[in-house]
Amino acid sequence: MEQPDLLILQMQENNEKAFERLYTMYSEAIHGVIYSIVLEETVAEEVLQDTFIKIWNNSKAYDVKKGRFFTWILNIARNTAIDRTRSKSFKNTKKNLPTTNFVDILTSYDNLNSKTNAIGIKKFVAKLKPMCISIIELLFFKGYTQKDAAEELEIPLGTLKTRNRNCLRDLRWLVIGPQ
Amino acid sequence: MNEEEIIASGILELYVCGSLSNDDIREVEIAIDKFPNLKKEVEIIESSLITLAENVSPPLSSIVWTYILNAISSGTNADSTTGTNEKTFNWAGVTGWAAAILLLGGLFWVMNQKNTLEEKVEFTTTENTELEDQLQNSQQELLETENVLAVLRSDDYNTVILPGNDAVAPEASAKVFYNKEEGIAYIDAKSLPTPPKGKVYQVWSLILEPLTPSSMGLLEGLSAVQTDLYKFEKFPIAEGFGITLEPEGGSETPTLSQLYVLGTVSQP
Repeated sequence: MEQPDLLILQMQENNEKAFERLYTMYSEAIHGVIYSIVLEETVAEEVLQDTFIKIWNNSKAYDVKKGRFFTWILNIARNTAIDRTRSKSFKNTKKNLPTTNFVDILTSYDNLNSKTNAIGIKKFVAKLKPMCISIIELLFFKGYTQKDAAEELEIPLGTLKTRNRNCLRDLRWLVIGPQ
Repeated sequence: MNEEEIIASGILELYVCGSLSNDDIREVEIAIDKFPNLKKEVEIIESSLITLAENVSPPLSSIVWTYILNAISSGTNADSTTGTNEKTFNWAGVTGWAAAILLLGGLFWVMNQKNTLEEKVEFTTTENTELEDQLQNSQQELLETENVLAVLRSDDYNTVILPGNDAVAPEASAKVFYNKEEGIAYIDAKSLPTPPKGKVYQVWSLILEPLTPSSMGLLEGLSAVQTDLYKFEKFPIAEGFGITLEPEGGSETPTLSQLYVLGTVSQP
């Protein structure tokens, strides 16, 4: 998907309509990432609100010539969500939460959900090896730097990069179709 | 590194995930500028990850956007003038208010006009009433004048001149128009001086042999038919008339020292 630079520029001029369209394009994915961190639906929606308010208020800090817009808002979302998990009230209620990754969440939904490529995605995650799940979880959902992720998983940096690419390779066919 | 090597290294995936250091990011962006295919590769990776994340998302309530919109709208209005909404002009509202003000002004004007007209009508009505009264008075006076004129012209009336008494009032005089048949007399007192305060003229009918005065009445408002013209009825047959000045209320007998005028009815 090409990045909607025009909408982003309009949002930076305080155009609420443009901002609404950007919300429609990105909110669900951002919500998924936030939910994988906070694991609680009400909290996830609150964090999503905070995230998009931050995006609006700091929109001029983003430069369309530098970096992906999605990456920029992904960072804001993950930081906001992680801050929330560190808050006292959150720690008190979530003490005994089991370790859950994106695959656990995804497979917990029934097959009737109408999301894009739902069936293909389920097939994709079903074939993912545990190392792939960990790499994607840390790099994409948790926002680890490559250095931190390599240390956490105790693998060399170069290996982490190529493993990550290989882990994600099958996912691309769901988006662009078989070629 | 060439295009294929960059793609194969997996650095683009880390670029989209946001896991690279600033130096690495700069390197990737230089490469993207150099090789347009890398941008397409980045877009595919990004779309893949977005699709994955969307499938991790629980159902998202539409109320979240409402909250966000409320939060950013209040913020925008509070701190800046760049909002496009602020420049829009509420024509409907302004027109409504203008119409209301005009209507109110119009109402006041009409009320004012109505009050003014009512006052005019009231004034005119009063004026009419006064004019009607005046007309009635004039008609009454005309009628009386005609009556008097009729009396003077009538053959039934004798004119009796009462010359002034040299001893008391040589300049004074009076006239009597006397209808012997009906016993009516008009006294014209135009040539009598104005009586002093506390005094009043009293008219007497006289029988000459022997001289017997009988009071006919006083020259005052009660018997006046016009200015200086007085009417008397029902008095004894007179052979002469006299007028004396008497204390207020009149006297039983004439005060001869104050006899102003005296005259006799000429015998036919």
